[in-house]
This record gives sequence, C-alpha cells and structure tokens, in this order.
Amino acid sequence: MAFDIDEYAAGSRAVRWDDLDLDHFRDHPLPADTLRTLRYMTDVEYHTICYTRDLLTTPSHTDDDVARFMVTWNREEFWHGEALATVLRMHGIEIGFDQLRANRLKFGWRDYLDPAGQSALSRLVGKDFIAVHMSWGAANEYTAVSAYKRMAALESDPVLAELLRRIAQQESKHVAFYVSQARKRLAASRKAQIITRFLLDKVWQPVGSSIQPREEVVFVFNQLMSGEAGVAEARRLDASLSAMPGLSGLQIFHNSFSRLLSEHREPEKI
Amino acid sequence: MTEVQERTQFDVRAFTRTAQGRFRDELDLAPFEAEPLAPDDRDLVRFLGRVEGATMEHLRDVLMTATHKDARVTAFLVTWAYERSWIADALDAVLEAHGDPRARAAAEGEARKRWGERRAWRGPLWRTMLAIGQRDAIVGAHMAAGLIDEWVLGAAYQTLAERAGNGALRKVIDRIASIKRRHEEFFAAEAHLRLTTSERAQRLARGELQRTVWPIGSLRRAFADRHRFHEAVFGAAAGRARAEAIGRKVAAIAGLTERIGAKIAARLRKR
Repeated sequence: MAFDIDEYAAGSRAVRWDDLDLDHFRDHPLPADTLRTLRYMTDVEYHTICYTRDLLTTPSHTDDDVARFMVTWNREEFWHGEALATVLRMHGIEIGFDQLRANRLKFGWRDYLDPAGQSALSRLVGKDFIAVHMSWGAANEYTAVSAYKRMAALESDPVLAELLRRIAQQESKHVAFYVSQARKRLAASRKAQIITRFLLDKVWQPVGSSIQPREEVVFVFNQLMSGEAGVAEARRLDASLSAMPGLSGLQIFHNSFSRLLSEHREPEKI
Repeated sequence: MTEVQERTQFDVRAFTRTAQGRFRDELDLAPFEAEPLAPDDRDLVRFLGRVEGATMEHLRDVLMTATHKDARVTAFLVTWAYERSWIADALDAVLEAHGDPRARAAAEGEARKRWGERRAWRGPLWRTMLAIGQRDAIVGAHMAAGLIDEWVLGAAYQTLAERAGNGALRKVIDRIASIKRRHEEFFAAEAHLRLTTSERAQRLARGELQRTVWPIGSLRRAFADRHRFHEAVFGAAAGRARAEAIGRKVAAIAGLTERIGAKIAARLRKR
C-alpha cells in the first residue's frame, strides 16, 4: 500500500514521556549495561540530521513526498533523542548540545569526505541512486524498530519498556515510508536493483556503526541480538528486506549481526 | 556552545517543545467564499507556500558545511523546517478555500539558471569541498542569511496583506507572522553573536550574502513566478522603499557594510 505522507505528517506528534513516572528511576535506577545501550541509541537519534545530509546529496529533495517526510522524520527522531536523553539525565548522564557538537567534531575530515563521495557517486549513477538511499533507510529503520522492540522485551523496567514501545511505534512508520519508496524505485529500474543490492551487501553496516566506536556497536548488538531470539530476528529482517524487487536472498542483517556477535569478548572476571 | 545560549537568551529547547504544528483547522477561511482573493494575490500565496516549504533545498546547502556540527543550530533548524512546512500547509488551505489545488499539486513552470546566480546552483560536492576551508566561521553567514530571509518574506507578506485588503487573509498572515517571529529572533541573536566575535565569519558572510538568492528556497522556483514575486514586492516606488529598508537593516548587521546592504537591495529589485 502506498504511504500517505499527508496522513503521516498530520498525525505526527513528538513522542510523549511527560505522563510516565520517570521519578521512579531515582529508586529503581537502570543497570549500567542498559544505560550504555540507551546512550548509543540517543546518539543515533540525535544524529538523524547528519544522516539527512547524505540523503540530500541526491536529487531526492526535489520529490515533494520525500522532502515532506524528511521534515517530519527529523523532528520525530530529534524527540526520540530528547526522550532518551531525559532518561539518561535521571541517572546523572547529561547529553547537551555541547556534547553532541563535540561528538560531531570528532569525525573530522571524514565528515566532509563522506557526503562528497556520496555526491560524486550520485552524479555518476544518476536518479537511481535515490533507490540506494531509500533501501538503506529501510534497512536502518528496520534495525531501529527491531532494536527498540527487543530492548523493550528484554527490559524488566516497566517505565523504560513503555517509552521504548512508543518510540518503536513511530519508527515503524519510518520503515513504512522507506520501504514504499524503495519498492517503487527498485521496481522501476534494473540498474537501481543491481547497485542497491551490491552496496547493501558489501557496504551496509548496522545503524550507528559509522558514528560509534566499534566496541560500542559490538556491545549493543550483543545485548540486543544474541541468542536464538536474536538469530530469528535477523532472519525475519532479512526476509522483509529480501521481499523488495531485486534484493531476494540478501542476508545483510544475519551476516552483520553474526560478525558483531563473533567479536564479543566477555569481560574478564577478577 | 553553552555560552551561546546564555548570551543570546534564546531557549532552543523551549522552541522545539512548543513548535507550531498543523493549524489550518484553526483558520477562518469561510469569508473567502464571499470575498475571494484576486488571481494575482493567489499566485503570490502559492509562491510563498512553495518557498516556505522548500526548507530541504536550503538545508541541502547548509548541512554540507560545519553548520551541521552545531547541535544547537541543527535542533533549531529541524524545528524551523517543521514550522515552515505547516505555514506552507496553511497557505495551501487558503488556495483550497478558493477551489485551487494546493501549491505542490499545481503545475510549476521551469526554473532558469541565471549567470549571476551560478554559485547558488553549486551542488553538495562543491559545497563540502569549500566547507573544509570555511570551517565553523560559515555558521555566522548562514544565521545572517536566515535573518535577511525573514525580512524579505516579512516584506512579501506585508505587501500581500496591503494589496489584497482582505480581512480573512490579514488574519492568516498575522498568525504566520507570530510563528515566524521566533525564527527571526533566533537568527538575529545567533548572527549577532557569531559575527561580532569573528572577523573571519564577517568576511565569509560578506561573500556569501552578496551571492544568496532571495528569498531562500526560490532558486529552483519557476522563473516567471520569481519575476512576478520581485515585481510585486520590490517593484515600483513602494517596492524600492521596501528593498532599501532591508538594505539598511543588512548594513547594520555586524561586519556588513552599506555597500553589501545596497547590493542586496539591488538584487531584491532585479527581476
């Protein structure tokens, strides 16, 4: 079914947490491992405006639906960052604008060369490159929904679990947009299918990989995607992505999660 | 920078929390039935809606530079784009009250690349390369551009309200102005702070602003529509006075000069 951008934009609200009892964290603080994963997720959410730069290297912004989606999507993701940052703040972990700016400054030259490279590639490939970005966005949003749902299921704290469920609900709409765009653009061009398939298979990495140290990525995906349930989730995500035109048989989630799981080392016991 | 927030007194978090979403249902559009706008005025409403909604075109240029690293500025820009998209929606509601299609559903003519605007057409590849040398001094130029854009659009809304002489439209424009006031406030405070503290930022701003195409978001609009916009808002004697008034305000921005102000005023009058 086509994604209704008007309905999505009109129905969009900043995620709510003012009705949740966050004071409960004062007596029931979250474990350190959970806070570490939340920190990762917060950084990823706040970083959305920087992912938007990548999307804007293609002519995608000239498509009214895509441009309007970007506006609403950015706002929703910013509020996910704010919601998670509020939980962290209750635990004495402050993520202000200064901290975010400092994180972004750390990327240095790479931060300019990445969009330059994408822009060059986009000029080389032409309009079909939008299909790559839309499929990439779908893969990232699939991971995000899955991560929030897995964390909500694993998390015994009822307040955090509820907040994560609310965020996951909004992320599901982002999946719907990217999938509908990717499906349409892939179906229209064999070239788009070949390039998208190649880049997803060879270059894609789980969301957050480009902005977080490797050990954090390994830690978070081991928290969320280990065990039989994690393997089953990766298979389910691969099946969803593979259903798009020209992407059948891709196993990017299984392969990348497996790599991350294999790199995990248990902390040595003293 | 924490000190930026302290010194500018603009609370970005409060702005993001209280952003204006969809408000077309709160507008009183029924009077347009008895007292419709003239076709020329509806054309101007359509053009303004397209420009207000073209935030991603602008962010495409801005985010390729160091401006994207400043999380306080990007938090503002995310919300600014959101509010502008709903301003565009309100202008669509005015068109729809006349039985016209909304702006994006109406056919738009071709954009034309003018020689004098060739630098504004530069794509992301160019901009990221330039950004490496500009570093965060470019943020001041972007903030000043946002401020001047508010003045240009403010003049356009005022012209439209005066020309149409329509009570219902005046109320819509007043509502829009109340939303845009906070945009102007942010851009003014940021531009002042960044340009008064860095000569390099001033130098970059002088170069950038002379080449900016006003209003922001109009570069890719139909050539004929742009022509009509500049004619309506900055043409004739009253329009010249509006353009010159903006030029004087530009000259008063830290590090900018009367010559820059006059150049921008002349650009506004160029059709």
